[in-house]
Amino acid sequence: MRRRRLFSLVRHVLLLVWTAVTLFPIYWMLITSFKHSGEWVTWPPRWFPHEPTLINYVKVLTPGTSTFELGRQTLKILKPLWDSLIISTVGALVAVALGSALAYSWARFGTGGRNYPYNILSIRMVPPIVIAVPFVVYFATLRLLDTYTGLILVYVATCLPYVIWMMLAFIDEVPVELERAARLMGASRLRVLRSVVLPLTASGLVVTFLFVFILNWSELLLALTLTNTEVSTIPIQLNKFQSANEGRDYGPQAAIGAIATLPVVVLGFLIQKHLLRGFSFGLLRK
Amino acid sequence: MASIRLERLTKVFGTTRAVDGIDLAIPDGEFVVLVGPSGCGKTTTLNMIAGLEAPTSGDIWIGDTRVTDWEPGDRNLGMVFQNLALFPHMTVFDNIAFPLRIKRLPHDAIAARVRAVADTVHVGRLLAKRPATLSGGEAQRVALARTIVVQPSVFLMDEPLSSLDAKLRVEMRTELKRLHATLRSTFVYVTHDQAEAMTMADRIVVMHQGRIQQVGRPLEIYGDPVNRFVAGFFGVPAMNFVDGELRLEASGLHFAAPALGVALPGRRGAAGAAVLGVRPEHVRFADGPEAWPATVSLIEPLGDETLVFLDYGGPASLVAKVGAEEELAVGDRRSFTFRLDRLVLFDLEMGGRIVG
Repeated sequence: MRRRRLFSLVRHVLLLVWTAVTLFPIYWMLITSFKHSGEWVTWPPRWFPHEPTLINYVKVLTPGTSTFELGRQTLKILKPLWDSLIISTVGALVAVALGSALAYSWARFGTGGRNYPYNILSIRMVPPIVIAVPFVVYFATLRLLDTYTGLILVYVATCLPYVIWMMLAFIDEVPVELERAARLMGASRLRVLRSVVLPLTASGLVVTFLFVFILNWSELLLALTLTNTEVSTIPIQLNKFQSANEGRDYGPQAAIGAIATLPVVVLGFLIQKHLLRGFSFGLLRK
Repeated sequence: MASIRLERLTKVFGTTRAVDGIDLAIPDGEFVVLVGPSGCGKTTTLNMIAGLEAPTSGDIWIGDTRVTDWEPGDRNLGMVFQNLALFPHMTVFDNIAFPLRIKRLPHDAIAARVRAVADTVHVGRLLAKRPATLSGGEAQRVALARTIVVQPSVFLMDEPLSSLDAKLRVEMRTELKRLHATLRSTFVYVTHDQAEAMTMADRIVVMHQGRIQQVGRPLEIYGDPVNRFVAGFFGVPAMNFVDGELRLEASGLHFAAPALGVALPGRRGAAGAAVLGVRPEHVRFADGPEAWPATVSLIEPLGDETLVFLDYGGPASLVAKVGAEEELAVGDRRSFTFRLDRLVLFDLEMGGRIVG
């Protein structure tokens, strides 16, 4: 009894330490985003901002293009934020719609042959940079470089394997007899999808959408290669802090980081119920 | 009218012939049970009648209509699945109402019919519940209600009782039979359980390796099996089989096996290798010159009767079913005979019945 309690204590302490290690960078990012420039790199470090300020947020969220100020460029991210939202959302929606339809037709009708899901998985076996360069060539010809459509197409293509494999697991959870029973009662194939398959895979669709949205939201390499001035995403903006000048602009950088993290956290909380249901496979009575 | 006729019905999966050219006529209102070991093609046959599997060749007729390539929903069938297939995201009410909503019945009519049907199968108080919260028996009744509510002319059932415990299964057996008597629809019931087949069927269709072995009333199948497979499939414990040979002697036909010889007066047949089949209840203790001596090697009391394993010197022991009042102990020496009129003989190689 005492040994079990000791074990439980050790386990909790270890988990707490681990949580602190993983959460600390996020904490540091958050408090830096509320600090004046003087506090970004003080020694000893300030654990709380002396005078909390929103100036970093105001700077990056001001409308207009990026401006130079005292030799430093302050990035304006309203436009990239909007671009990111559109591209990630539309990309995820299209990928989920296409991918779940593919997964369903493979699971129920064997469309594409036995190895289809494995073949499509091979898309993910190639390092993204390998496809990025040919895409530049294609897109230059098709005039898709630096457009929403171009980036959305690439994101749909790279996310399809994830969608198909996740949705296969959820569709497998729906006993085929449910669909057969509905068909025997006179339901059309579409009615079966609407009344039986969709409600039973709804959680899966939401979870998959969230997963793919986050992938798109945080994707850097393809976005960097396939966009230029017209379209830009948040990861590209963060990447710009690599240079000698902007590299020291910690406050706005932290603010952009916080803004980039926000949608993911909010979405996570909003669909927590679905996440729980979605990830606990085997809830349905077989 | 809802008679069913299957003509040369065949289903091939890859290289296996799951159903191998079966012919069957089921008259309107009959309770037919398709029975056989798993993989015998009974469920595939049922699925083809339902329209859930397309036959490789052959035809299906319901009434006077050829429905071979009709959609399942157009055949006016009701089906109860092995796992019941209740929609987990709907309440019991919505489950039962589902087929009516597809037929676009008016709202009030749906509610009235759902309530009426729910009451007939005693699930009236469960209407607001979800299937996951029902007990096995309740779920079973809801599945039945959902099938009955559209008044189909044919009921198809694929091992609907297999998920229930033994006691409930026996209860539901009676209830299904009563339901059949009330509805007077055609029932096609699939099971691997020979007891279910015996107790419920008007007629039994025994299947094995994709083919129909025998069609007949339960007692016909039990007492007059056409081959060794059917004889061995029905009856608990199974029929005793003794390998030996038939000889023609002056007194008539004679069956000879190691340590066993049975005169079969009045029977005709050709000499040759044969299998003698005798049900445990037709093995009886007796004394006299006709009886064979044996040692009791195992006793299994069932309460009302007792199973006795007899070592008579042959390769396997014989099982006898005797009255529970018989006083026995392992190691006892007892003599036994057979009820000669109930013995059956099969061809050793092909398993076909030797009738004579």
